[in-house]
Amino acid sequence: MTSKNKYNRCKKIKSWLFESLSNHFGPDAGWIHKHIAGCPRCRQRLASVSRVHLALSMIKAEPHSLDLLMRANTKAVGVLRHSLREQPKAEKLRTARPEPKLSQKCGKYARSAANTAACITILFLAKVGILGSMSKFQSEGQGAMKQYYASQVGQDISDDIFTA
Amino acid sequence: MFDKTVSCGLTWDFPVAASVDESQRWILSAMQRHGPELVTMLWRILGNEQDVCDAYQDTFLQLAHYEGRQKPKHIKAYIFRTASNTAISMLRHRMAERRLSRTIAQSRFAAGRLVRESKEQSHGCPADDLDAKHLQESLRGHIARLPEHLRNVVILRDLAELSYVQVAGILGLSAGTTRVYRCKAIQLLAAWMSKEKKKV
Repeated sequence: MTSKNKYNRCKKIKSWLFESLSNHFGPDAGWIHKHIAGCPRCRQRLASVSRVHLALSMIKAEPHSLDLLMRANTKAVGVLRHSLREQPKAEKLRTARPEPKLSQKCGKYARSAANTAACITILFLAKVGILGSMSKFQSEGQGAMKQYYASQVGQDISDDIFTA
Repeated sequence: MFDKTVSCGLTWDFPVAASVDESQRWILSAMQRHGPELVTMLWRILGNEQDVCDAYQDTFLQLAHYEGRQKPKHIKAYIFRTASNTAISMLRHRMAERRLSRTIAQSRFAAGRLVRESKEQSHGCPADDLDAKHLQESLRGHIARLPEHLRNVVILRDLAELSYVQVAGILGLSAGTTRVYRCKAIQLLAAWMSKEKKKV
């Protein structure tokens, strides 16, 4: 076996392995649910870890005021050297507001982008000839059927059936 | 004679200062680039806007005076670690103050002088699990208590929301070690928080 094949097989097995492991040992595995339902210690552990996660999400969800970045920048720029404070960039920082990341901005367009991509893919496939080759398969199938009928019932009857 | 010397000194100092300013423009660029992420992280650690501004200012002041006003090799790592350390020391200070005021309140209560006042204070930290503020403050306190290597990972991964690879890069660890540290930190926090719940 060549090293490339071996590598590809390893890669495939790695992904299956991960999937099967997460099915068997992940938090959603049935036997884990069953065990937790019957084991008070594990239930307590799960509850305490969930408490930490709940507190973390609460901290993350708490919003700050919109001008906090502006105020922090103003305060920080204020202690820099005079010539740095006078820079146009410093002025820009004093009025900066938090802006959403590119991924957050584009998030709302994700569904329509996916639909457009699907349409383009279909058009591309039609153009390339995938759909054309399907009609070719159909005519080849029809030819095979005609040949079968010709061998079984005769050429004349077969012609009559398939030309009608 | 002295006047002459001083004026001569100023004439020589001026171009040096100008070149320093020129070379320190990277501070403004760093502020522009990492400021929003840094403010979010500080807000999540401290939960108080005034403290956030103070910690942010302190971070950039330290950056401006880093080893003879030189640019650190890894600015992002330097900024995030400095900000996190500053915020944690502020948080510890705040917790110590709160503990002290609670002790004073308890001693007053024991003396039976200001029963009403102490009732008002105890109303501020209810034992109810669903009290979001109490839960948040409790977690902040426990994060400040974590050993440094675990605390840094939790702060950068969970509060600054950086990826494991970025956290590993900032702390000079491997991504695997970062994952292990985070797991240990969460286990420790969970144990402390459940212990605290039992006490309440």
